[in-house]
Amino acid sequence: MIALQTNTFEFWAKYFPQLLAGLGVSLQLTALALLFGLPLGLLLALGTEAKLRAVRWLSVAVVEVGRGAPALVVLYVVYFGLPLLSWSPEAFICAVIGLTYTTAAYTSEYLRGGLKAVNPGSVEAAHALAMTSGDVLRFVVIPQGLRVAVPALMGFAIQIFQATSLAYSITVSELTANASGIASSSFRALEIFALAGLMYAAITVPTSWLTNKVEERLTLRQ
Amino acid sequence: MADTVPPGRYSGKRDIRTDAVNYAIELGAIEKTFAGHQVLKKVSLRVKQGEVCSIIGPSGAGKSTLLRCVNLLEQPDGGNMVVAGQYLAAGRSHPRRELLQLRRNVGMVFQSFNLFPHLTVLENIVLPQRRVLKLSAEEARERGAELLKRVGLAEKADAYPAKISGGQQQRVAIARALALEPKVMLFDEPTSALDPELAQEVLAVMKEVAASGMTMLVVTHEMGFARTIGDHLVVMEDGAIIEQGVPEEVMTNPSEERTRKFLSAVNR
Repeated sequence: MIALQTNTFEFWAKYFPQLLAGLGVSLQLTALALLFGLPLGLLLALGTEAKLRAVRWLSVAVVEVGRGAPALVVLYVVYFGLPLLSWSPEAFICAVIGLTYTTAAYTSEYLRGGLKAVNPGSVEAAHALAMTSGDVLRFVVIPQGLRVAVPALMGFAIQIFQATSLAYSITVSELTANASGIASSSFRALEIFALAGLMYAAITVPTSWLTNKVEERLTLRQ
Repeated sequence: MADTVPPGRYSGKRDIRTDAVNYAIELGAIEKTFAGHQVLKKVSLRVKQGEVCSIIGPSGAGKSTLLRCVNLLEQPDGGNMVVAGQYLAAGRSHPRRELLQLRRNVGMVFQSFNLFPHLTVLENIVLPQRRVLKLSAEEARERGAELLKRVGLAEKADAYPAKISGGQQQRVAIARALALEPKVMLFDEPTSALDPELAQEVLAVMKEVAASGMTMLVVTHEMGFARTIGDHLVVMEDGAIIEQGVPEEVMTNPSEERTRKFLSAVNR
């Protein structure tokens, strides 16, 4: 076996580019899930507080299903469900749709918490200043609520980045999928998954550290 | 006292004055009930153009609720009013246009300042000018800077509210309200949350605003302000006005026993 003759670092060096490409796909999935999921999450957060009962119930249902179903199940439903609606997007698109839904459902709760924490006095002052309800929401409630929610949202971003590994199960060539492929052809699973783990950590650890810093700064300003 | 404002004194659209006396605020038999408890019992009050009217009385008397009815932060259950020439009747929901028109004419200053915590001092004053008066960013900043100078806080323009004192926050709040050039200003216990020293700097600004000819309705515990700056003094208790008149006279020679008791309690 030729593969067994190389040491771990040579082995890592050989497959690193392939894993790096996978990491690129993981990061793309994360970015797109957040890009589409966060605005949807904000809409759902506002929806669960809406005056119209139908809007409220619909929003709550969408959120609860999204939080109740495991992200993997959501991915399968999208991947196998969409073709039944005669639309068969490629696996990457399915992963983006599934992860977006999960992101929207979870972040809506963080955002709702943030909106509830907004100082009611400042909202009242905005109304007293003849600002329209839409302006009060846009310039007073949402910016304050977002600030409160930012640390929780950054924490969630780390989680959804890790959850992109689930896209492996619907054939997306992200980091875990590539590592798994290398593992089965080289029979050196422990070493390749150790490298994959290090690459995940290279993203998550600095991000957690940044989250703490941001949280500190936001607390200082209050 | 308990009469509503007679509608006959207004023209067809009922929002243009047709009589001679200029009142900035006329409240007619305003009623408000919270969860079965009547907080305002047919309160009627008139404030002349340019007059400073102070409302005093024990807590729970309904002073703040009355003030909040004037800009419809609270919806009265009964009565009617004319504020800055605009006729408003209770007991119906007000269209958005009517509410915004009223609030453009009526500035309000709160006990807890209520600045926008995520915006700097200057941005606090710029935002409503941009959104309500539709001024350009440049114009709004220019006027904001002028107002900050007027309340003595030009150097705090870029500070966040949390970084300045309560007295400074309240002066910013006054500047923010003045930026919309209101015809009437409401002050809801503006100095109650402040140390005496900081309260003085806020009162100095209020004095200057009064001197500029602004019509002011002030709920306050500052007897000195009510006496020296106020033109009219209203004493409220238990949801009603029990006495009113020239501040000096009411304070030195109250006709009601309850007023006497309240005054001796605050002057102790």
